[in-house]
Amino acid sequence: MATETTTVTDLAEAAERQRRLELKELLNKKYKWIDWKWDLVFWTTAVFVVAGAADITKQLFAGDWDFWTDWKDPQWWPVVTAFATIIIPSTLQYIQWTAWRFPTGATYTACCLFFAAWVGRYFQWDLAATYPMNFVWPASVVCAGILMDWTLMKTKSFILTSLIGAHVWAIAVWAYNYVPLAAFLQPAHFMDHVVTVADVQGIAYIRSQTPEYLRLIERGALRSFLGETQYVSLAFAGTAAFVGYWIGQFIGRYLAVWPIRRYLKTM
Amino acid sequence: MGKRFVIGSVGALCVILAVVLANPPNAAAHGEAADEPFLKNMTTAFFNVSVSPTEIEVGEPVRVTGSVKILETWPHTLETPEIASIMPVVPGPVFVLKERFVNGTAAIGSFFAQKGGIYEFEMELVGKEPGDWHVHPGIAVYGTGTLIGPGEWVTVKPSDEPFSFPLTLMSGETIELSTYGGAFVWWWSFAGFVLGFIWILYWTTNKRTVTNLAVTVQLPVNDDAPDIGLITPRDHMWMNVIVGVTLVMLVVGWTYATSNAPVRWPQQTDWFTPEFISSGEKMAEARASGATYDEASETLEMKVQVTNVIQSDIALKQLTIAMATFVNGPEAEQAKAGPSDFVGRLEVQPDGPIAPGENKELTLTISSSIFSEERLIPTQAPQQFIGAVLRFENGNDGHEFVTVRSNVVPTQFRSTYLP
Repeated sequence: MATETTTVTDLAEAAERQRRLELKELLNKKYKWIDWKWDLVFWTTAVFVVAGAADITKQLFAGDWDFWTDWKDPQWWPVVTAFATIIIPSTLQYIQWTAWRFPTGATYTACCLFFAAWVGRYFQWDLAATYPMNFVWPASVVCAGILMDWTLMKTKSFILTSLIGAHVWAIAVWAYNYVPLAAFLQPAHFMDHVVTVADVQGIAYIRSQTPEYLRLIERGALRSFLGETQYVSLAFAGTAAFVGYWIGQFIGRYLAVWPIRRYLKTM
Repeated sequence: MGKRFVIGSVGALCVILAVVLANPPNAAAHGEAADEPFLKNMTTAFFNVSVSPTEIEVGEPVRVTGSVKILETWPHTLETPEIASIMPVVPGPVFVLKERFVNGTAAIGSFFAQKGGIYEFEMELVGKEPGDWHVHPGIAVYGTGTLIGPGEWVTVKPSDEPFSFPLTLMSGETIELSTYGGAFVWWWSFAGFVLGFIWILYWTTNKRTVTNLAVTVQLPVNDDAPDIGLITPRDHMWMNVIVGVTLVMLVVGWTYATSNAPVRWPQQTDWFTPEFISSGEKMAEARASGATYDEASETLEMKVQVTNVIQSDIALKQLTIAMATFVNGPEAEQAKAGPSDFVGRLEVQPDGPIAPGENKELTLTISSSIFSEERLIPTQAPQQFIGAVLRFENGNDGHEFVTVRSNVVPTQFRSTYLP
């Protein structure tokens, strides 16, 4: 009996080894009509779709926080930016991992977003509307994308990536963008007040239809956590990013890929 | 390619070319005419507005001064005014705002407001972009939006000196606000992009993409298949290197930024309650008893019952509706009342002083194209009312602002065949 079981197991293992060898061959198979040009066309045309989706999602959920330095505050900015920017990278991470086993979805989206955001800010905001770029620069999520793709590559699990990677994402987005923001948080004397350089930009560069009271920033509250709002916000940003990650996964699984699978099946 | 397609494409191209080459004029207004009349005339009244000078060079100042009253007639359909912010209404940052006072207090942000409150403002703008710009004061009220005052065209001419905005930090360092930190923001973001681009290039140039699908569909999602060659130990090694470089870059950047700007504050916020400004010495009781509006001649006629409650003569000198002021006086007085496009003549019948204790019915007549240009008077609206501020003066430089509210009846009723 034991010998029979061993034989069956050996046979199954041999079959699996064989199957994987065939898959290896398939991976390296030379196709007559599908060569590297298809890959190039795919990656380049996807830039615009992915950039558009990521930029629109960011503007929808975190528009003003991303547009102005005087909105990039310790309380709200880390939370809304982490949530808004993780959704499409998560979607692309699902698509690119499941389709090609590439841990590139988040980084690819982040690079596309970098392109779209800077082009938009420069042409629309700086050249057309004359807001200086040092006031309207967009947050960058490339560093966070690299770290989240690396997390997926190491864990090979979307669940673990959502648990670990989303928190890494939130901290990385904040930390990476805090570096250029730091200079704008220096205090200066303006209009009989001591305010930050970012505040001066917000007051001086006129936004007639965005009055100051609409600015959602830390204004001081009883729940100040001994003045450590920043760290509490970052912890919450991780949770918000976790939620955003799964919204992105939902988009990837059911809105982006599922209809294609259905279509392929009908063929 | 079908004939219809060609004709359609050529037609579309012609339309696009016509739009581009027609060189349409710049939009001169700010959209306030599109607001419902009640949103303008029942909410606020701007008076004594001045925008001066009206011709400057880049880098030179323009002062915008005046007063705005939040009317007691504030419509019940809007949220009660509690928080407001006064700002210049201009087409983007073609000027920069250097100073702003509300009732004598420097105002970096918003303030607490209330019905009946009068807010005197003083703003200093500095020309940044050459061009002809329409400059208005405006008051944004939480829950309502920005309500606009009378405006003036300001010409900003190019200057030999480029625009500059020096700002002194508390550290003593003086920075140029227009460009400060801009280069670092770009290069820092670009450096991150380069790392990400290398990450993408690694995967897309070392491996095939589209054809991988044939393999991955036959594997569980958590199988990275190093034996097959999907993700190899070599891939792990190079990705570890990129992540390492990313982390080093983050630490170096953070150290540089925080040592360069060791003192950092959270963004500042200041909402305050402005000093109270009185409507003036109590001298008149006034109540509007009805108004008519003739659309064809753009003439408003309002009847007002006035009682003089002081011991000297008083006279009605001005009436303000929203951003428009009408003066019972000669042209010299009208010129002082505000930007000329928003000032007109007020005819009072019977004219002349109102004696102490006297009760008089005054008929106020105004003919002005601003009524239709700015859509100030409702002619067919759910709220057929107007609010107005009357300025009474006595002979001793005293004055009082009195708010009145009246329903408005059009003299002609237009037939409408569409809803």
